[in-house]
Amino acid sequence: METEIKIGDKTYKVEVGEMEKGIIRVRINDQDYYFSQNKFGELVSVDKKQDEQVSCEENGLLLNGLSENEIRSPIAGVISGIEVKKGDEIKQGQKVVTLIAMKMENEIISEVSGVVKEIKVKKDQFVNGGDVLIFLD
Amino acid sequence: MEKFKTISSTNQKAKELAKNGAGPWTVIVAEKQTQGRGKKKSLWYSPSGGLYFSVVLPKSNIEDLQTLTALAAFIIAKTLKESFGLEPLIKLPNDVLLNGKKIAGILTENVVGKEVKSSVMGVGLNTNIESFPKELEKTSTSLKMELGRKIDNSFILEEILKGLKEQLKTISQ
Repeated sequence: METEIKIGDKTYKVEVGEMEKGIIRVRINDQDYYFSQNKFGELVSVDKKQDEQVSCEENGLLLNGLSENEIRSPIAGVISGIEVKKGDEIKQGQKVVTLIAMKMENEIISEVSGVVKEIKVKKDQFVNGGDVLIFLD
Repeated sequence: MEKFKTISSTNQKAKELAKNGAGPWTVIVAEKQTQGRGKKKSLWYSPSGGLYFSVVLPKSNIEDLQTLTALAAFIIAKTLKESFGLEPLIKLPNDVLLNGKKIAGILTENVVGKEVKSSVMGVGLNTNIESFPKELEKTSTSLKMELGRKIDNSFILEEILKGLKEQLKTISQ
């Protein structure tokens, strides 16, 4: 929805649209503002970037293994080792990536079996919780 | 508690045991590690005399484990202060320094799939180490070097374990 609002002698171009995950974007001239409903049903201002991050962290541990053909990082961190290569047959429970997060070393294991089709990350790369690490066939 | 004269790495052993179903607070302690390590495969100097142990932690969420790493540093520092009157400094989240030199290191390792499958925390504490190789001389110290006397490893181990169990209660439901 797009409209123009005149306040005093200034005119504002206002555009309202719904983004993913129930986030409403209000664009005033070229500036974006985001709102979402809180648990009480009230519309509150949110920092979209921050919100995205929070959602990822909240969902992080659930995301890994949701799909049969991809392995996602359950947490944010830096890849310190990739333990498999393209074409490798991996079993459920096998270590696929080592990730340093919050000064801890984390072995990321696959929740499914399959063949490594593509490795989406490189050593020393930062990943967010929910990012795809590996595609499986 | 399982005691070893020599082991490659107490964390490695604890991880194996955790994978095979070892319960929380299973403790692996070794007199010497041949491949004691810190993050990113950096080596932890582990000759006879030092205290090297790993604990299988109760399952908790990953944020709590990070807190526990910092709490472990605090417990080690507190033990050194209360038992020996020393003034250690914590380099958050996982190192303890004495007079600007490293005296203890902590490495928490998790296995994570859909949720945290297992967690082990390893501690290397330079207790009765007489001297360090040249490359570590300037950055590492030991209790024996600081106090000029031998100290009881099993006493410190018990104090730290007691502290960890106590602190874990404060962050788990």
